[in-house]
Amino acid sequence: MGIYLTRRLLQSLLVVFGVTLVTFLTLHLAGDPTYLYVSDRASDEEIAEIRTRLGFDRPLTEQYIQFMTNVARGDFGNSLVSRTPAMDLILERLPATLELTIFAMVFALSLSIPIGIISATRRGTVTDGGVMLFAIFGQSVPSFWLGIMLILIVGLQWRILPISGHVPLLDPLLAGDLSTFVNNIPEAIRHLIMPGITIGVFSLSRNARLVRSAMLEVQSQDYIRTARAKGLRDRLVITRHALRNALLPLVTIIGLELGFLLSGVVVVETVFSWPGVGRLVFNSINQRDIPVVQAAVIVFSFMFVASNLIVDLLYTRLDPRVRLH
Amino acid sequence: MYLTLKLRVLIAVLILALLPLVVSAQAPGPDETTLIVAQSTDVTSLDPPQVGARPESNVVAHLFGNLYDIDVAGNITPSLAEDVRVSEDGTEYTFTLREGLTCHNGEPLTAEDVVYTFQRAADPELAFTGNTPGFVFSSMGYVDARVDGELEPTIIIDARNSIALGLITEVRIYCMDTYEAMTLEEAANNPVGSGPYRFVEWVRDDYLLMEKWDDYALFDPDTFEQIVWRVIPEASTRVAELIAGNVDIITNVLPDQHDAVNNSGVAEIQAVQGFRRIFIGFNFTDNVEGLPGAEEVQDPAVRVALQYAVDVPTICAARLGVECERANGMVNAPNNHPELEPYPYDPEQAEALLDEAGYPRDENGVRFEMILQGGRNRYLNDEAVILTICQYLDDIGVQTDCQIQDFNTEFIPALVSQQAGPMYFVGSGGGNWNPLYEMADLAGTDSNPNYGRWFNEEWFSSWDRLAEVGNPEEEREIVLNMLEIFYNDPPWLMLYFQPDFYGVSTRLAWEGRRDEKLYVQDATLR
Repeated sequence: MGIYLTRRLLQSLLVVFGVTLVTFLTLHLAGDPTYLYVSDRASDEEIAEIRTRLGFDRPLTEQYIQFMTNVARGDFGNSLVSRTPAMDLILERLPATLELTIFAMVFALSLSIPIGIISATRRGTVTDGGVMLFAIFGQSVPSFWLGIMLILIVGLQWRILPISGHVPLLDPLLAGDLSTFVNNIPEAIRHLIMPGITIGVFSLSRNARLVRSAMLEVQSQDYIRTARAKGLRDRLVITRHALRNALLPLVTIIGLELGFLLSGVVVVETVFSWPGVGRLVFNSINQRDIPVVQAAVIVFSFMFVASNLIVDLLYTRLDPRVRLH
Repeated sequence: MYLTLKLRVLIAVLILALLPLVVSAQAPGPDETTLIVAQSTDVTSLDPPQVGARPESNVVAHLFGNLYDIDVAGNITPSLAEDVRVSEDGTEYTFTLREGLTCHNGEPLTAEDVVYTFQRAADPELAFTGNTPGFVFSSMGYVDARVDGELEPTIIIDARNSIALGLITEVRIYCMDTYEAMTLEEAANNPVGSGPYRFVEWVRDDYLLMEKWDDYALFDPDTFEQIVWRVIPEASTRVAELIAGNVDIITNVLPDQHDAVNNSGVAEIQAVQGFRRIFIGFNFTDNVEGLPGAEEVQDPAVRVALQYAVDVPTICAARLGVECERANGMVNAPNNHPELEPYPYDPEQAEALLDEAGYPRDENGVRFEMILQGGRNRYLNDEAVILTICQYLDDIGVQTDCQIQDFNTEFIPALVSQQAGPMYFVGSGGGNWNPLYEMADLAGTDSNPNYGRWFNEEWFSSWDRLAEVGNPEEEREIVLNMLEIFYNDPPWLMLYFQPDFYGVSTRLAWEGRRDEKLYVQDATLR
């Protein structure tokens, strides 16, 4: 177990290093970032001066080595735009993004499993057809369009949920301000529902289809037939025998889910004015605020690698046949 | 059975828990003391010399006062200063500050604070990249500042410059002791201003809250106690929030959303004829040599012919949703040339002039090829406008390759490094307070924003004459002559002055400005 963990951590570091290198090169291949930090009225001399000041006149290898050396010391540099430490900008927005992704994951998982089971146990019925139709819709509808539709219908027409904005939940919790945390819960959830559904509906649909097909496969196994032959009630057969095995592929997907949801938050955060990391990264890429993009990439890579590692460890609990080497 | 019961209880609990979420009141909207403004982008820094973009300067203008201000009519009026004296040679501006001014932490605001404000912005060690140390200081020829009395700061410039005072209005003032004690990061995040509103809280990418500073010397007591600047990037979401009554003013309303706002009964569209000049520039540099159209744009006769090819009023009506008249030059009314007629849409005349200039149609109907470049999503409906212009050029036999690029990452770097074009679509801010402010776009033969490096000897020698004249009549005469040069040897294909569309709650008495400055400190309830 120890050797496995060490090897996985080293692999993770390599992944993060590779991602930062690719990001760094991509940002520079898009052209000279200096022009994003000068007025469009700047003279050639001013442009050259700012290029030197920002260090963009140095060789790329030198810039990258300098950056990684600083990162190793815990210094991610300052944002070129706001002059604030890049990691601070990420960390102050991270709770909002986590709230959204956690809500979306909970929404998607809590509904996809029962929907998948119902669909599998009623295979070929109208219910099954309806569920699959919904799943196809959920996987094909663009999140941008869905978000706008929810805003117009639920937020503006029916006026039952706030159109945009964010009420912090994790921030007061992390700050130890429990009373604010508790007071914020109702409004925070109201603000989370529409963006959470928008971001989670794809996962919900995909996971429901996955659970359905896994359940169908498991239900044809001998041990299920044996369980039924023993006289166990159908509900027990499904929950105790079939579901546990059918969930294994879903657990694999959950490991990748975080990465998918994080990439999806950019659009949803923009539509719902959600002050999260997705918008920060999007704006920083546009402004080629390299320190912020790099810091975000490192944070996202770590989160993604860590969630996959946790899933791998969970596998051993769910399936005793799996051993870590 | 037991499980079923449990499930039922669980569902009932869930419904009960969700009920208050559904039936509780909608998100609180603006109240009688709070004004809510929604812009598309957030502030990146609240340190005035680091501020560049318009959404930032809108916010900062409410937190920090300026020495003089420009009103909607284009008059330069006293603000923190009550008077200004200009030295005989025009290089020193000595201001007299109002008595009893303070910054928001109570620190008295005196001449040394003004001097510090200017010197800090220009300090190369601090490496500010905002509008003040960039455009403002370079355009006014800033040299230094000094204290001439407790309330008398003097700003020194390198030569007589009739737009210097107008440019000084852009410089936002703060207190020396406060800012000397701050790190750059603190200054960017926790401003201590000198303007009508005091900074309270900023949640990045979410909102910025400010409250009325009662000690502000020029304050109107009827204005709102608090202003909330919300960040709502998506245009449809901004409109929805306005119609729902959750915000009072929104910016950049797209033409296709005007009806929704106007039919809502709670808000209306305010169309403001802006000062921003939208035009097509010609690139005369070697950077575009060999590209289609590069050789042809060197010929003034071709450039004049192209002016007749584009139907500007139709573009305004069809693409921008407003009626507009074509501009007759680079200067807004009333400072424009009163006698020059805007080029009319006359494709036959355009074709005749191109024939005359030696560019007849070939067997395929093509006179010559051209590249027209432009950025996407920067100006109102820019992509549609650019495509329409390309079609107009095609119609007169100028086969145009329309290249629409990402504005920030592709187009601006090409523009600033003089590699856009040979024709490029762009806009430039304007004003009505002095024509030279707008003409300064073409103040140098080898400096931006003369992106195409246009050269006309008479035009550029006129700038030297302007630096020598001391009276307005003589200056006006030179300006009119320069505008004629611009008209006859056009470096731009002048299109229109861009309209701005604000969505404004009907509860509000407020009027948008033509210079794109979103000043809401004078907004009141109807």
